[in-house]
Amino acid sequence: MTTALIELSGITKVLKGQEQPRTILDGVGLTVHPGESVAIVGRSGSGKSTLLSVIGLFDRPDSGSYLLDGQEIARLPERRAARLRSSHFGFVFQRFFLLKHLTAAQNVAMALVNGQGWHPRRQRRTRVMEALEQVGIAHLAKNRPTKMSGGEQQRVAIARALVRDPKVLLADEPTGALDTETGTLVIDALLSATQRGCGLILVTHDRDHAARMGRTHDLIDGVLNERVAAR
Amino acid sequence: MRRFSGRFRSSLIIGLQGIRARKLRTLLSMISLFLGVLAVVVVQAGASIAERALLADLELTAGYDGTRVMEMQASQQAAEVLTTTAKGRSDAVVMLGINGIVGEPGVLPVNPGGSPIDEDWGPPMNCDENGCVPIGGPEGEAVELRLTALTGDVRKFRPFRQESGRWLDFTTVPALAPRLVLNMEAAKAFDRHHVPAEMRVGGAANNVTPRFTGVVDDGDGQPRAYVRLDELTNWLPTSKLADPNTSGELRLMMTAGSPVEQVVTSKLKAMGNEPYAFTVESRKEQEKTLTLMRLVFFAMAGLVLLIGVAGILNVGLATVGERVEEFALRRAVGTPRFLLAGIVLVETLLTGLFTAAAAIGVSVAGLRVVSMIVGSSEPLLRDVQFPWEAGVAGIIAGLVAGVLGGFVPALRAAGIPIATVMRA
Repeated sequence: MTTALIELSGITKVLKGQEQPRTILDGVGLTVHPGESVAIVGRSGSGKSTLLSVIGLFDRPDSGSYLLDGQEIARLPERRAARLRSSHFGFVFQRFFLLKHLTAAQNVAMALVNGQGWHPRRQRRTRVMEALEQVGIAHLAKNRPTKMSGGEQQRVAIARALVRDPKVLLADEPTGALDTETGTLVIDALLSATQRGCGLILVTHDRDHAARMGRTHDLIDGVLNERVAAR
Repeated sequence: MRRFSGRFRSSLIIGLQGIRARKLRTLLSMISLFLGVLAVVVVQAGASIAERALLADLELTAGYDGTRVMEMQASQQAAEVLTTTAKGRSDAVVMLGINGIVGEPGVLPVNPGGSPIDEDWGPPMNCDENGCVPIGGPEGEAVELRLTALTGDVRKFRPFRQESGRWLDFTTVPALAPRLVLNMEAAKAFDRHHVPAEMRVGGAANNVTPRFTGVVDDGDGQPRAYVRLDELTNWLPTSKLADPNTSGELRLMMTAGSPVEQVVTSKLKAMGNEPYAFTVESRKEQEKTLTLMRLVFFAMAGLVLLIGVAGILNVGLATVGERVEEFALRRAVGTPRFLLAGIVLVETLLTGLFTAAAAIGVSVAGLRVVSMIVGSSEPLLRDVQFPWEAGVAGIIAGLVAGVLGGFVPALRAAGIPIATVMRA
């Protein structure tokens, strides 16, 4: 058995600042291996996005252990967290977050021009075109997002997530703003990354998309359970 | 170092993309800042030009900074010590002064005492123990002036501006008819009064026939003429040139460290004539006046600049407010907080630099136009060059405004939480 990419155990997150502190994640445990795809489903407000924030180092858990490639990173300072976000993770969001004033290629290159190492222009161009080819829209490299369909924009966002060859792809409702057919294409693009050894964690409401993942977990009231019957 | 370079280049690329995406905003920021930077550039340029003009005028009368000047009581022996010691040397020039009258013989000059041609110093007086009585005589066409006899080219110590003709040539054989170079006031006098070419100097063997070879601006308000000592002493004994009874002047100008100073000082002290030596420090003398003037104007320019900074700050805060999602996304893909601050600062710094370039360009063009229009009547502005100090001041003002105006927006950008992209 290979070393787990991600190993969460006993992760707890409590939302403070309200009259009654609210437990968002309650002892969550999750293990993801290279090339594995995991779906997390749950109702709105169940804590899916918070879990993804903790996994993607946007946020820190209040307690519990988080091993990334066997290294404990639950209490990482922000500078090291930023470096790990750049080197290990790729993010895809429900909204595409493409910058309107940049072309598709420039939007993808954004992940390379982030102050974490320098990529010369030629190298940047090669990697951007490879990422765009992986998601099948290399021909749209010079187009601006305003001239693209929703599916094309989301694939640009996936290319942006893939351009640094991440070890884990984190997708938060990536098909939420797309029709079924386009959503299927987007899931195809995400799954193709897992064939190269990239782990995939997909947060979704869509049971069909969840069913295409290797495993599905239900997050109910902050507690994560693997759905055995769904397999 | 490599990491720093990568981060710097990243912020530069993203900053330039930001400026290109928001051209109108950048232009508005530049407009708000433009007057402030322009004020700084104009104040610095004006101060530099005024300083150069003041210094040039001071150098005309006092000499270049660093020149050693020695003055002493005029006497025949002192004149001989000076002329024999400095003769043929390039590091020291002796100036001997005496009054002379050029014009009709035997008449009173139109400017008795060698006064400026438009001033009246009163009639010449003859004084003895019983008091002073005016010297009488018929009125006629004659001009009295100060004659300064030189042992060498004094322009290496005092930068006379050649207005017309030629300066004295010290390399040729001395002429029997002394060649004179007039100053502006003397030229004005001879322009108004057409006099015969006959010169009377007290103590001379004969009246001599001078030749005017050129006109210089020496900054002196009195009519004055410069002449080679060896040409004047063909007709006038050196002892008469330094005669205190004829208002004789005796001055030695030297380069700093010239051995002439020590030799002359020793010789004069041996004769009981204590010389007074000093170093010309024109720049230092005018510094106090200029510093005060500059401070007042810079304070005014600073206020205008502050208004520009407020403009950049305002636009910067609004822009960061609009770009919350972009900055959160950049953090999500691994951009460190301080690089986000760097991106905002790069944008405001570039805005400041572009504004500075525009302000400098406008100032250069403005100075050229002013020089073309009023240069003929104002010698100060004729062919005046744009001072590089003003350009540097403009760039510094632009950069400072960029930092001040971008600092708070940069902090805001660095503080945007990544979770913004998850909640959106």
